[in-house]
Amino acid sequence: MSIIAPVRPTTEPAAGGARTARAKGGRRRRVLLRVVALVVLYVLWEITARVTRNPAFIPAPSAVWHQLIVTSTTHDGVRGYSGHLLIEHLGVSLRRILIGSVIGVAAGLVLGVVMGTVGWIRVVAEPVVTFVRALPPLAYFSLFIIWFGIDETPKLWLLSIAALPPVAVATAAAVYSAPTGLVEAARALGAGRWQIVRDVVLPNALPEIFTGIRLAVGVAYSSVVAAETINGVPGIGGLIRDAQRYSQTDVVVLGLFAIGLSGLLIDALLRTAETRLIPWRGRS
Amino acid sequence: MSSADAAVELENVEHSYGDVTAVGPVSLSVPAGEFLVLVGASGCGKSTLLRLIAGFEQPTTGTVLTGGHAPQPGRGAGLVFQQPRLFPWKTVGGNVALALRYAGLPTDRVDELLAGVGLHDVAHRRTWQISGGQQQRVAIARALAVDNPLLLLDEPFAALDALTRERLQEDLRRVSARTGRTCVFVTHSVDEAVFLGSRVVVLTARPGQVALDLKVGLPRDGLAPDELRGLPEYAALRSQIGHAVREAATVPEGASA
Repeated sequence: MSIIAPVRPTTEPAAGGARTARAKGGRRRRVLLRVVALVVLYVLWEITARVTRNPAFIPAPSAVWHQLIVTSTTHDGVRGYSGHLLIEHLGVSLRRILIGSVIGVAAGLVLGVVMGTVGWIRVVAEPVVTFVRALPPLAYFSLFIIWFGIDETPKLWLLSIAALPPVAVATAAAVYSAPTGLVEAARALGAGRWQIVRDVVLPNALPEIFTGIRLAVGVAYSSVVAAETINGVPGIGGLIRDAQRYSQTDVVVLGLFAIGLSGLLIDALLRTAETRLIPWRGRS
Repeated sequence: MSSADAAVELENVEHSYGDVTAVGPVSLSVPAGEFLVLVGASGCGKSTLLRLIAGFEQPTTGTVLTGGHAPQPGRGAGLVFQQPRLFPWKTVGGNVALALRYAGLPTDRVDELLAGVGLHDVAHRRTWQISGGQQQRVAIARALAVDNPLLLLDEPFAALDALTRERLQEDLRRVSARTGRTCVFVTHSVDEAVFLGSRVVVLTARPGQVALDLKVGLPRDGLAPDELRGLPEYAALRSQIGHAVREAATVPEGASA
C-alpha cells in the first residue's frame, strides 16, 4: 500500500477539442489547395498541348489517358506495351525497388551502427560512403553490367548500393550522437553494453534511421529507371526506354506518372508507418 | 567506523577535469541508513562527488568505496538525476520494468512500485503525457525498483516548481524512512538540506572540500512538514547551514580556477 498521497494523472488539455477541430480545418485546406493546384496544372498542360500541336513534344492529357487504357489492356491481340500490361511493368519495377531497398537499408543499418559505435571503422568507412553517395548510379551501373551481365543481378546491385548510403549516414550520425544522459540512465539501472545499444541507442536513433529509409527508397525510385535502361522489360524504366526509341512521348509521360504516383503512395505509407512506430519523434 | 561497515566511504578523494580540480581532497564516511545531504554553491563539485560515488567517474587520487567495494554504475545503488531521463520510447510502466529486467527480476511489480511513489493508472501512459513532477516520481520509482542499499539523488527537484518540489521532498522523506536505504542527496537549497537530511555536509567553492559536517537531530517522528519547518531548531539549523554555505561559497585566495 502506498504511503504517499496519490497523484492524479495529468488530464488532457481542455483545449484538446479546439486543437483537433483546427487540425481538421488545416487538413481540409491543404487537400483543397492540392486539388486546386492539380486542376490548374491540368488546364495549363491541356492549353500548352493544344497551342504547340506537337504530340511528340507535349502530348495532350487525353493522349496519355488513352495510352493508360491501351497499355493496361489487350488490343488487337497486342498485350499492353512490349507484351506486358502497365501494371506488370510497374509491379516488376516495384519488386526491384523493394528488394534493392531492403538489401540497401539492411546493409546501411548494420554499417551505420558499426560506424556509429566503432571509432576506427567510422574513420575508414565515412569517406567511402560519402564517395559512393556522390556517384550517379549510372556511373557504377556499367561496372555491374561488366561484372554480372544484363539480367536482374546488376539492377538489384545498383538499387542496393544506391539505397545504402542514406541509411548508413543517418544511422551512424544518430548512433554516434546518442544522448549521454540517457545512456548514463541505462547504465545506472545496470544495463550492459549490448542492452544500451538495444534499449537506448537504437530506439533513440529510430527517427533519423526512418528519415534515412525514406531517403533511401526515394533514391532507389529515382535509380530504377536508370537500372532498367538495359534489358529492362518488363519494368517501367524499360517501358520508358522503348517508348523513347519510338518517340511515343505519351507513353513516356505515362511511365513517369506511374513511377511518380507509386512513389508518392509508398512515401505516404512510410510516413504513416513512421507516425505509428515512432510516436516519440520530437518528444522528450 | 570501518570501511566494511560504512555504506559509503571516501578517503582523501580528489577529482580533476584536465588541469581543473573539481573536488577534494574529501574524506567522508556514511553509515548505513543515513540521509546525507551534500550542499554547496553551483560548481563546487557536489555533483562530481555523487558521480564518483555512483561509479561514473574515477577519483584522480584517493579511494571511493560503496558497501566495501569500488563503485560501478548500476551495481548496488539507485540513481536519480536532475532531469528524469526517462526513455520516451517506453511507456511509464516500461521505464520501471526496464530496471527490473536488468536486475533479472519479474516485471509484475511495476504498478506496485508506481503506487509506492504516489502514481496510479499511469503505467500505460507515454512519458510526455505526464507532468514534470510525475516524471520525476517515475524516475524515483525506477531507481527504487531494485532493492539496492544505496540511493543517490543529484538535485532531483531543482527543475520543478516550488509546490511540486515541497510535495516530492515530503514523499522522498517517507520513502526513505520506509525503505531505510542510505541516501546521498545533492542540492544547493539549504531548506531542502535541513528538511531531508539526517546529516548535512557543506562543500566549499571549487575545489569542493568539507566546510561543515553537521548531524541534523530534528524530532521528525509524527511531525507534519509544516510543523517540522516551524520548529525553532529547524530555523536555527537553516540559519547555521545557510551561513556556512555563504562562507564556503567564497573562493579562497590562491585556489585553482
